Amino acid sequence: MTTTAPPSTGSATAAPAPARHTSDRVRAERRLGWMLAGPAFAVMLLVTAYPIFQAIYDSLFSYRLTDPGNRSFVGLGNYWVVLTDALWWQSFGVTAFITVVTVAVELVLGFALALVMLKALKGLRPILRAAILLPYAIITVVSAFAWQFAFDLTSGFVNSWFAWLPGISAETDWFGQTGTSLLVICLAEIWKTTPFISLLLLAGLAQVPDVLQEAAQVDGATWWQRMRKVTIPNMKAAIMVALLFRTLDAFRVFDSVFIMTAGANGTETVSFLAYRQTIARLEIGLGSAVSVLLFLSVVLIAFGFIKGFKVDLAQARGEK
Amino acid sequence: MRQRRRRRLGTAAVAALALCGLAGCGVSDPGPPTLTWYINPDSGGQAEIAAACTAAANGAYDIEVSTLPRESSEQRQQLVRRLAAGDSSIDIMSLDPPYIPEFAQAGFLAPVPAEVGARAIDGVAQSAIDGATWNDQLVTIPFWANTQLLWYKKSVAEAAGLDMTQPVTWDQLVAAAQAQDTQIAAQGRRAESLVVWFNALIQSAGGEVITQTADRPEDIQLGLDSPQSQRASAVMSEIANSGVVGPAFTTAGEDESVASFENGAAGFMVNWPFVWGRAKSGVEGGTLDQSVVDDYGWAVYPEVDPGTPSAPPYGGINLGVGASSRYPDLAYQATECITSDENQKAYFISDGNPAASLAVFEDPEVIAEFPMAPVIAQSLQQAKPRPQTAYYSEVSGSLQREYHPPTAVSPATGPDAAALIRAVLSGEELL
Amino acid sequence: MSTRERTWWIVAGIGIILYALFPIAWIVSLSFKSASDISNGQFLPTVFTWENYSLILTGDASELFLPALLNSFGICLIATALSCLLAMFAAYAIARLDFPGKKIILSTALAVAIFPVISIVTPLFNLWRQIGLYDTWPGLIIPYLSLTLPISIWTMSAFFREIPWEMEQAAQVDGATTWQAFRKVIVPLAAPGVFTTAIIAFFLAWNDFVYGISLTSTSAARPVPAALGLFSGASQFEDPTGGIAAAAVVVTIPVIILVLFFQRRIVAGLTNGAVKG
Repeated sequence: MTTTAPPSTGSATAAPAPARHTSDRVRAERRLGWMLAGPAFAVMLLVTAYPIFQAIYDSLFSYRLTDPGNRSFVGLGNYWVVLTDALWWQSFGVTAFITVVTVAVELVLGFALALVMLKALKGLRPILRAAILLPYAIITVVSAFAWQFAFDLTSGFVNSWFAWLPGISAETDWFGQTGTSLLVICLAEIWKTTPFISLLLLAGLAQVPDVLQEAAQVDGATWWQRMRKVTIPNMKAAIMVALLFRTLDAFRVFDSVFIMTAGANGTETVSFLAYRQTIARLEIGLGSAVSVLLFLSVVLIAFGFIKGFKVDLAQARGEK
Repeated sequence: MRQRRRRRLGTAAVAALALCGLAGCGVSDPGPPTLTWYINPDSGGQAEIAAACTAAANGAYDIEVSTLPRESSEQRQQLVRRLAAGDSSIDIMSLDPPYIPEFAQAGFLAPVPAEVGARAIDGVAQSAIDGATWNDQLVTIPFWANTQLLWYKKSVAEAAGLDMTQPVTWDQLVAAAQAQDTQIAAQGRRAESLVVWFNALIQSAGGEVITQTADRPEDIQLGLDSPQSQRASAVMSEIANSGVVGPAFTTAGEDESVASFENGAAGFMVNWPFVWGRAKSGVEGGTLDQSVVDDYGWAVYPEVDPGTPSAPPYGGINLGVGASSRYPDLAYQATECITSDENQKAYFISDGNPAASLAVFEDPEVIAEFPMAPVIAQSLQQAKPRPQTAYYSEVSGSLQREYHPPTAVSPATGPDAAALIRAVLSGEELL
Repeated sequence: MSTRERTWWIVAGIGIILYALFPIAWIVSLSFKSASDISNGQFLPTVFTWENYSLILTGDASELFLPALLNSFGICLIATALSCLLAMFAAYAIARLDFPGKKIILSTALAVAIFPVISIVTPLFNLWRQIGLYDTWPGLIIPYLSLTLPISIWTMSAFFREIPWEMEQAAQVDGATTWQAFRKVIVPLAAPGVFTTAIIAFFLAWNDFVYGISLTSTSAARPVPAALGLFSGASQFEDPTGGIAAAAVVVTIPVIILVLFFQRRIVAGLTNGAVKG
């Protein structure tokens, strides 16, 4: 199938079903379908839909876990508190910054990796594939620790290795300022998630018909022209799917921030803010409001992508 | 084939889930009642005490330990979450004193039996008694008491011409460090340790973060907009900006401080007594030269204003008994065993955590092991707890947000912090 | 391809390998440093030591680390098995049957996959406290399903759609019973897809951090990523860099083994259905 044919949502089954005349059979098949798929569907709803509705409900109350006696209904007051708080907007800005920077870099870098993998010699391919998969499969917390220890003043080697660069000396405290802290966080995120993007792009590259490439080559198009006119338009769907998933994933960044800076020096992200209010401060009401706002932001981003860029979700897949 | 096996595995898992049910998987053993003691991480001393007390109880109870996270704020989170759930497995808790009011106020602590309380405060340092008390009621049992000392290199102090037999001030230290081209190590990281430092400064200047505590968050009176608070901010800013702190000062905690003291970068340091235990094990492990340790000196915490005794930080651990514990009486019995002078002494020697009971400091074995024991005892008598309020985590979090980084502290920081604490306590701002 | 071009691609390939392995090599190197080496500012240890490993496997930190490792394995395997089981039926229905609601199920899976975990952890924590699931295995297995189930459904549906199901009928025509036909024909065709899905689902569960730190508080159910934050040095105020590095290496070993053995499958699973019909 080509990339434009939605694979999953159509009713095309691999085995062409015989024409059904009896509505009984149709009904039986429907019932069987729901019987088989129903449990999975129900579990998914139970573990996510119920808690989010509970969070919306909780966010309408002023409620502190250590002070259950003082629980009171405040309507949308918590949302007002959050949205008029500079801290929320700062966290939102930091999250947006991390998202934009990491996704942009990952797209370019991932594309380069995908090209190398496509052209790599047969003998190298398995090694490359295994190497690329490692960052994807490693625990985010482990990756965060590795990058933190590398840049840390006491345990790191970065300062002594890169002391020849202007602005880096043995005494550069990477986690001492906002800018450099965010730089290290972004580096760790990029290292960990570029492989996933590059794999999706590699699959997209493989979809580009060779015939078109050859035709363009015959016409005397340069490599750049071929990229721009043939390769990229033909894998647009793959690019968009990769972008959508990484953007949503990046917007939820939490582990790296938690491990590396614990939110110091203005590196709080929205996820971290929600965690701090609910789990650390036990302010269930306020924290639920932050959680709901985070949820809405993710929904809006997804919606914007799907409507704005016409991402064909039929080709997307549940994937982190 | 594989699929079938997988399916069987899945069925087994479902069965296991069903069997475990909601109570989790546990086997009840008909032995003596098990008391679970939630401990802060140490190098094994509390586990040893638990074993010793279990043996001494002759089958009356069996103490098991469960370790909490490293950061005291996270210890609090874990405990509060379970206590709010009415967890009956929490019998004994090692509590960081600042969070005790919150626990007491929320009704998470079982009341201390009068005679147990009377025995528990007998011969104990005043700061440790204050830290175990809320609303004039003893709510926990003092176990060990911590305080920060001023650590210095004798050679550096001598070269700078400081008389360390007399109390020194922060200003003198800054001048000496500048003259000797050495660093002062303190904890500038955005963590509880920053509040420890700031509170010691404001109390040494004769001020208080909270001047009047109250049950309702709105009624709490703050002393952050006072001349004493300004003085504390000025000292903090002076230390952070006089070129006498290390490059990673704004991310340095206790560990980074002691590392710079050991490698010679810092000639002065404020830190807890674990420094000594670490130095000794460093010499044993061959990572630290004996000559470096021989140069260690110690004194009571620096003063803010000459002639006004300093208010060293008070820390340590008190034992609380969970309100939902099934065996509160046994748990209090166990605390008496745990906090016996003998065990406090053993713990002091094994883990370097100073006793709450003053008699322990006069023990020759302790003094042989910790030559600074008399200074610690004096420091404990002078020490002042951090602000006592049921909303401590909010107060501490706000102070951390405003006073970090210490390099940016200005005269406006105090009023800003006061405004933030008020807003956070009345639920008008996030933290 | 000219020789020059070929050399260029090989260099680029080596660059990728370095890029991927460098941070892993660093954490491995760090885990072999002794306490005095940790702050030497170098990449490699001057003295090679196993002390960090003995600390977490037999020493002071073992009481924290070993139960956590067991919890991680148990919880992740059960969550993976459950989600594969549920997804198997759902994917079969999606691939093979014609019923309204396919689209809803796949869209729901997608929506759940992009869900911010942090948004639902608080209500779950509250509910778990009330019904006694807090700090238990089931209390983590259930939320892990929200991580593993959506991807299992997508990946498995993509695999199942490629199975030539008509072979089953052909076998039955040849005289095999329904069960034989299913076992001899379909199972071998479906097994690789199920297996690949299981690996990817396992990765996701293994990687969890937020649920781990929010829904547990003791060794009863605490998984490794959450336990890493609890290590301490010789005292509460000392940083356990070496111990964390060693623990990080230990939890990475299963992941590396899976990747080395099943890389081709994992890549197929990750990209299957994303851009292929």
